[in-house]
Amino acid sequence: MNMAMSFKNSLIKVRASPVTDIRPKKSVTWQRLSFVLLLVVASNSHADNFKPFTADSFAEIKQGFQGSEFLVGLWSVDCPPCLVELNMMGAVLEKNPDLPFVLISTDPIADRDSAVEFLEDFNLQDRESWMFADNFVERLRYSIDPNWFGELPRSYFFDSNHQVQSHSGIMTMELLAGWFDREIEL
Amino acid sequence: MKRELLRRSLLSGVAALFLQGFSVAALSQSVDCETNTSIHCGSAPSAVFDSDGRLWTTFVQNEQVFVSYSDDRGKSYSEPVVVNPIPEDAEHNGENRPKIIVDQDGTIYISWTLKTSPRFTGEIRFSRSLDGGKSFEAPRTINDDNLFAGHRFETLYQNQAGHLYLTWIDKRDLETHLANDREYAGAAVYYAVSKDQGKTFSKNYRVADHSCECCRIAIAPHGPENIAILWRQIFGETTRDHAIAVLTPDGATLETHRASYDEWKINACPHHGPTMVQSSQSGDYHMSWFTNGDLHQGIYYGKFSFDSQQAEQVFRVDGNPGAGHPYLGEFNETLHLIWKGFDGEQSTVQLIRSFNDGATWTDPSILATTTQGSDHPLIVTHDDGLYLSWQSDEYGYVFQKFTDQSESLSSD
Repeated sequence: MNMAMSFKNSLIKVRASPVTDIRPKKSVTWQRLSFVLLLVVASNSHADNFKPFTADSFAEIKQGFQGSEFLVGLWSVDCPPCLVELNMMGAVLEKNPDLPFVLISTDPIADRDSAVEFLEDFNLQDRESWMFADNFVERLRYSIDPNWFGELPRSYFFDSNHQVQSHSGIMTMELLAGWFDREIEL
Repeated sequence: MKRELLRRSLLSGVAALFLQGFSVAALSQSVDCETNTSIHCGSAPSAVFDSDGRLWTTFVQNEQVFVSYSDDRGKSYSEPVVVNPIPEDAEHNGENRPKIIVDQDGTIYISWTLKTSPRFTGEIRFSRSLDGGKSFEAPRTINDDNLFAGHRFETLYQNQAGHLYLTWIDKRDLETHLANDREYAGAAVYYAVSKDQGKTFSKNYRVADHSCECCRIAIAPHGPENIAILWRQIFGETTRDHAIAVLTPDGATLETHRASYDEWKINACPHHGPTMVQSSQSGDYHMSWFTNGDLHQGIYYGKFSFDSQQAEQVFRVDGNPGAGHPYLGEFNETLHLIWKGFDGEQSTVQLIRSFNDGATWTDPSILATTTQGSDHPLIVTHDDGLYLSWQSDEYGYVFQKFTDQSESLSSD
């Protein structure tokens, strides 16, 4: 197991300061101002493609892959084994760029700058990527899988009929090959 | 950047908390969290009573650790006093929160984990107040390795002899192994002790190699001088069950045993630490923990005996999806176990009680519910009962007694 070796590579970069999040307010004035601010923030600070993951998002993701197989990887900046998995998935996707893989970070989307740094380390920043955008994390977890207790990393494979299989812990090449039912190059 | 900044107005109207079947008007004030520092706005609070019955709390807001007290059992709080005037990235989540202890002399001890760069690293921070919480000493770092390594998930405890114990999860040995191209599973458990009310601390002592990296450690007394600690340990390659050990103030680990046999084989971060209290009746150790192992799944209770060196009366508290984060408290020889659940719509804080030292348990009752985000529920013990300590987006900080006189009488 070279999990420890992979940690070493991950210890190079320093954390960036997260940007301040801005939410729309109730009043019209605030809505307008917030809209402008959001545009500014979006154009200047969020050089990433994170989408806010809410209680409806998992259904949306599945809808996007209707009739197709896909893999979901749940991770967090606060989870050392997740980095090992991201490292591996980065390498796998370099050799198999068409592998349908969706990332969901369980970190609050306000911390998106930290999260995108991790993805950039493994060249995963251009993949479909979501971040938790509701402090009621229990509901978000439930929307993905009521039987998931929050342990990370966590993976789900949906076949083309959207029959699902799950795995807790670091992804393995054997699991990937089994789920996709073909040889996965690394 | 943190969610407390975004919380605009809490506690408007009457919070509908259901305690022991009664609807309780818990909080009725409103706090603007964009302009106020308040326990209702802060994250991951801890609380403790001092010997005069004053409730002391600590919490994190805007990268600062604050202390605030209440003389009316949590109805109102003093103006918070900052512990670290220079803001630093203090961890504030369910498993990793600032801790507070107030001793007989009124000395206030605070600890927290400072997140540092690079990733997954941190320092164990400590400060104290010698003037009744008016001011705090400059924070000190207690881990003594001077490494940018992981030192996190600290727990602070003062025992009967007055020894102040700090335990934590430490990655210095992992780093040493990496430097020599050797593998090392997980992290290690370390501790340090102060015998002079936090003026100085001992060097750091290692308890065990190969602990899980991301779960809180539970502490209970073991005689006047020693302590018992319970933590998630990696057994074999990947089995993340629990271990229990006895530590002395001089750095010796007297005995270490496996405390749970769940066979949770997982190479991941559960973020679910155990809870433990010592039985006033048998001297054994009541434990509760979460697992998703081959043998057990859900929240479990067990009573560990150092005589038999095993857990007895192992009982599944809640096997429902979403159940987690148990917390134990004992009052009047009645054992109370609270935990958090989620039913698809709302989070619940549930309670079961045992009147016979954990042999049998009542059916669960619901202490509180919320349809918004919330912290782990904690129990604070006082000589008049047990209190629920629980931060939630919906109600702010809830501090509510859940044992009452009639209940304590009926438990005899």
